[in-house]
Amino acid sequence: MKLKHIILRSVYIIMPAAIVMAFLWAPPAEILGEASRIMYFHVPLAWVSVLAFVVSGVLSITHLADRNRRFTGLDEWAYHSASTGMVFTILTVITGSIWAKISWGVYWNWDPRETSIVIILLIYIAYLSLRSALAHTENRGRIGSAYLILAMITLPFFIFLVPRIYDSLHPDPIINFDRTIYLDGRMRVTLGVAILAFTLLYSYIVNILNRIAILNNTVEDTFHEDH
Amino acid sequence: MVSEIIRNLAKDLRVEFRSRFAINISLAFAVIATLALSLATGGIPFPPRVQSVLLWLIIFFSAMNGLSHIFVREDDRGTSLFLLVSTTSDAIYLSKLIYNLIFMSVLLAVITPLFVFFLQVNILGIPPFIISVLTGGLSITAVTTILAAMVAKSGGKGPLFTIISFPLLLPVLWLSIFSTAATLESTGPHGYGTQLFLLAFSGFITALSFLLFRFVWLDE
Amino acid sequence: MEAINLARKFGRTSIFRDINFSVAAGESLCVTGPNGSGKSTLLRILAGLLSPTTGKVTHTLDRTIPKDAWLDHTGYTGPLVNPYDELTALEHIRFAGRRAMERATADSFLTRFDLARHRDKKVRYYSSGMKQRLKIILAFLNDPPVLILDEPSTNLDARGKDILHTYIDSIRSGKIIIIATNDPAEERLCGGGIQLGQ
Repeated sequence: MKLKHIILRSVYIIMPAAIVMAFLWAPPAEILGEASRIMYFHVPLAWVSVLAFVVSGVLSITHLADRNRRFTGLDEWAYHSASTGMVFTILTVITGSIWAKISWGVYWNWDPRETSIVIILLIYIAYLSLRSALAHTENRGRIGSAYLILAMITLPFFIFLVPRIYDSLHPDPIINFDRTIYLDGRMRVTLGVAILAFTLLYSYIVNILNRIAILNNTVEDTFHEDH
Repeated sequence: MVSEIIRNLAKDLRVEFRSRFAINISLAFAVIATLALSLATGGIPFPPRVQSVLLWLIIFFSAMNGLSHIFVREDDRGTSLFLLVSTTSDAIYLSKLIYNLIFMSVLLAVITPLFVFFLQVNILGIPPFIISVLTGGLSITAVTTILAAMVAKSGGKGPLFTIISFPLLLPVLWLSIFSTAATLESTGPHGYGTQLFLLAFSGFITALSFLLFRFVWLDE
Repeated sequence: MEAINLARKFGRTSIFRDINFSVAAGESLCVTGPNGSGKSTLLRILAGLLSPTTGKVTHTLDRTIPKDAWLDHTGYTGPLVNPYDELTALEHIRFAGRRAMERATADSFLTRFDLARHRDKKVRYYSSGMKQRLKIILAFLNDPPVLILDEPSTNLDARGKDILHTYIDSIRSGKIIIIATNDPAEERLCGGGIQLGQ
């Protein structure tokens, strides 16, 4: 078994460990109490949403820059990363609004981070619509990649803008009293393990999607050889 | 290169002028939307912030009705291969961008006065208002021109253009709404920071689109 | 112009493979084969409008020309090259002419292909044969050293074919001419031939 498979399959152990740690081992936070445990899911989900987006963008750049076609299927890989990322983004929004409801009393109030994640979600939706509209055209991979690159490069402008327009109502101060994120040792370790677990889960899913795509292509190739 | 752009632009203007339906549809949409809003208000003016939001919504949707046409038409009529044999892809992008800027100017020149007239908008700072409308329009055009090419390649499926434009246009619309509202609300000195930001953003997106356009328009 | 091991697939479907040839200035080549054998695809690859899935095409004038610039010295026309309905023949010539076209040059082309009477008529009102004549004029217009013609005599009447064949014969020296056709009269115009779809 190759190293890659060992790493990817370690998600079977690390994910349950992260869940057990989040619910049983980590202590509750001072203000939020037991509800603070949603952090061990929300933060890793948000991290993977952004990671998947950046991975798709970088793969797209490589796809277009690779003029001699040394790599194949990079655009499909970018697509798989984006579609997995979209699921994670939706989960981020859901867990985020639950957390917001608990700590601020409302599900949604357009603070900078919520706005950013919604924009990422919109970009994912737009990209996936574009891909599906381009089905059966030869240029699908290149056009999809061009769109992701444009979107990825526009995003920093936006992240730069949002806090200037809306005051930061959100985030960090709410976990503890002293207006900084204070996490004790066990909370930090749990959060670290959870982030690792979700990153592995993302890689694991994308890897499976890539393998399915390769198998599909092989099946179609064989089918066309026969006819 | 310059002569190619001029040839192509002259051709597009001629073709479009002879079948004016794209601009007519966009303008008709803008007029209907403005009149419908005005009718619904029953003569009571909205607060400035709301007026600004409505103005930009009308501009956005009118633009979405028309800006993709210049590429979609080439694909619809099967003329895109002739276009490609006759000019380079760089010239195609730049000439279509210029065409869309002209299209946008016409749109703004009709929508804005109409809107001000029918919705009883009281503009306190007229020059900043005009500048903020123009830079917003410029940015919308700069961002969506390459997206229009993508839509044309997908067979011109109507709502797709709006779907893929919206996330990239959010910063532009957002800033424009805020800065336009500011020009309606106060006579005080207006900084042009937002407008400079939008100009920089448009320039940046245009440069990037120029680089990416060949991947979108040329067949693999 | 040289082609080495060309192959092209659309999606998973292989159109052709192992195409090898070279043509020099003054030579001509006919591509023949049944419908669907990939004649148009091959011609579009040679014009730089498509990329081969594997293999390589090179254009050498004084030196090897990058692919982006092939269309500068190539006249291409084919069934999918459609003129604009809203423009007249003369406006098309003005649009497609890379150099400022002298009125006399445009007129001589229009007269030669019997379109002079219709030069100010919009293409919308053209018959399919007249459109075909216009498309041929547009391919020849810039006097390119390479001519790639996909089914050039489609929709032409006997007289139109005659004009076209005489014209090709008159300009062939110093040019590379590649024609996709299934018309035996046209095959006789060519020096060499490639048969696809076997």
